[in-house]
Amino acid sequence: MIQKKICMLGSSSVGKTSLVRRFIISIFDETYHTTIGVKVDKKAVKIGAEDVTMVMWDIHGEDVYQKMNMSYLRGMSGYLLVADGTRRQTLDDALALHERVVLEFGKVPSLLLLNKFDLADQWEIDPAQTSRLSAAGWNVLHTSAKTGERVEEAFLQLAKMTLSE
Amino acid sequence: MAEQAQRRAPMAQAQEKSTDNNHAYEELRHLIVAPETEGLAAIEERLDNLEKRTCDVSEVVAEAIQMRSAGGDQALADALAPTIQETLRESVRRNPHVLADALFPVMGPAIRKSITETLRGMLESFNEALDNSFSARGLKWRVESMRTGKPFAEIVMMHSLLYRVEQVFLIHRETGLVLNHLVAPTVATQDPDLVAGMLSAIQQFVRDSFKSKDSESLGSLNVGDLEIWIEESPNAILAAVIRGHAPADFRQVMNEVLEDIQRYFSSALANFKGDAGPFRAADERLSKLLETRYREAPATDQKKPRALMIVGGIAAVLLLGWLAYSTYLLVEWSRFLGQLKKQPGIVVVGYNKDGRTFHIQGFRDPLAADPKKLVSEAGLDPEKADLQLAPFYSLDDEIVARRAEKMLHPPSTVKLAAKAGELTVEGSAPQQWIAKLEERAPLIAGVTGLDESHLVNSNLQQLLNIKNSVETVVLLFPLGSADLEDGQDQKLAEVETRLRELQSQAGTSGQSVNVALVGHSDTTGIEGTNLVLSQQRAEQIRRLLFRNGVKRELLRPTGVGTTQPLRNEDSEEGRQLNRSVTFKVSFAPIGAAGATAATTNAHPAGPAGN
Repeated sequence: MIQKKICMLGSSSVGKTSLVRRFIISIFDETYHTTIGVKVDKKAVKIGAEDVTMVMWDIHGEDVYQKMNMSYLRGMSGYLLVADGTRRQTLDDALALHERVVLEFGKVPSLLLLNKFDLADQWEIDPAQTSRLSAAGWNVLHTSAKTGERVEEAFLQLAKMTLSE
Repeated sequence: MAEQAQRRAPMAQAQEKSTDNNHAYEELRHLIVAPETEGLAAIEERLDNLEKRTCDVSEVVAEAIQMRSAGGDQALADALAPTIQETLRESVRRNPHVLADALFPVMGPAIRKSITETLRGMLESFNEALDNSFSARGLKWRVESMRTGKPFAEIVMMHSLLYRVEQVFLIHRETGLVLNHLVAPTVATQDPDLVAGMLSAIQQFVRDSFKSKDSESLGSLNVGDLEIWIEESPNAILAAVIRGHAPADFRQVMNEVLEDIQRYFSSALANFKGDAGPFRAADERLSKLLETRYREAPATDQKKPRALMIVGGIAAVLLLGWLAYSTYLLVEWSRFLGQLKKQPGIVVVGYNKDGRTFHIQGFRDPLAADPKKLVSEAGLDPEKADLQLAPFYSLDDEIVARRAEKMLHPPSTVKLAAKAGELTVEGSAPQQWIAKLEERAPLIAGVTGLDESHLVNSNLQQLLNIKNSVETVVLLFPLGSADLEDGQDQKLAEVETRLRELQSQAGTSGQSVNVALVGHSDTTGIEGTNLVLSQQRAEQIRRLLFRNGVKRELLRPTGVGTTQPLRNEDSEEGRQLNRSVTFKVSFAPIGAAGATAATTNAHPAGPAGN
């Protein structure tokens, strides 16, 4: 069995916690987010014959009240960068955060999740930009924590990427 | 130099020689002394100039203080103390915040630590004391405390530094992923992956939040009676979850294990890619940490149950015995109560058990059985019986009979019985007692009726016996004579004895008695003569009996002549029997009409005959 440390990154209220809630094993209360800024959950997936335990570090989104603690990212095998598709700003913030991560930890397998796709009518990110991101090497997935759309797929895909590292 | 040259020129013009000498001397002096003079002037100026002096001292003051302190000289501290004290006081007076702010980072933790340590020590000894006070081990320790004069808490602490390492985590330091996790038997755990992740997150959180150096880390966490001890090596974190209070050297053991693992698995740790497989081999090393809990625990774990089992066993046996005995007593007492309730003359209205004493409340007729004796007879301890029986008159048949007996003193020939208030008297008794019975029976409590149908008056019986024997006697007379035939004296004497008996019996039996002496004659001769003769014969017998002590008024002589022949006169024997006197005894209760009638009827009168 292989274990991988995976981080969930993104601004606050983009739905990181909701995204994993239905797909993970959790024993900790969500107040951990606001106290120490991270909550550790677990997601087991099967990639081929390999059982992979993804230990998910759901890191509190950066906001005016709380700065993200970069040291929580140490030793991660990959991360999910999450943005709220109905709020353009969160994508910019996510990409900025990504820059910081790359600067500090180098290139690490990652996926960009544009979440809240169930609210497609309020979408603020135009397809042209999505294409640009894809062209820049981003693996972009439109997810919905509410309907569960493509969430499982996102985890599996990231797990695969970390294994092939 | 230019100035000196100008000065020298006019002097040379005025005094050629001497001036030359003086000048040379001055010059020499100047050459020799000038440096010293200048030096002295400089020193003088330094000493006089306060600013310069301050400057000089400031250059060496730190070194000077250091030098003095290094020599272990207390004088400096003594000298500075008043000034420093005064300075602090002044500082606080002016603005207390300055000093408070400066001391805050030191004071807070120091005070907290001191309070925490004190409280923890107190709590621990208190808990231990509670735990140990009631065990066999606790007693032993108490004795030891008394013997050594040390406080009990100290003895407890000395003996019971018990702990149990419940879980051991080997965590990859960088990723926070679990490399190995061991759990002591019977310990419930949470998902180790998550716990380890969170633990390393907390570790990083603490490190970042309190800006400690990377090499410094959280050494332990306390949660209730759980402690989590954490040791770090370059690539791994070793965390032990300990219940209780582990000794300080356990940290040393942890360190050794971690160092060993770091050494042995160094490349596996450095190249860790998420596969914890290789670290299964660390099981043995890590289990050493779990085993530490057995160091002290087994001794007490075994002793305690054994001591407990023995004490418990004894307690159980005692309890069972006590229960059995109590039950037995209870059963015996209730059986006794049943018996007591059946006792005539005793009424039980209530009872209760108080400790070992059995209280019984009720009533008892003084003639009822002795309850204390009943208690003994039931096999119970009379001392344990508290009998509160108030006296009363019982109407129980048996008690009424007993009461009647007590009041009537019946002769042994009489049997008394009571049934529903009616007193039945059986047997025979003298008239006198019967009279007393009739008089007293209605006065006896509980007696409402009297049945004498089976009671015989013994005096009357005797009277009847005498009557029967006397009435069979026939005293014979010769033909035509009123004197007894020869050989009749014996019969007469017998009659005399009987009649005397009758006399005395009549007195005690309350009967008036009279004896008719009936004179008879045979049919020979003239009828008139015969009647007289028969009367004479009766008179003759009365005389004889009276002479021998039979009361005159008892005897009523009468002659019936030939009117009441004893036999027909077909033979001489028959005629002889009719020449006789016979007896007729009659009695009646004094005052009854019958006796008087008999007396009057029996009055004799008339002439003699055959």
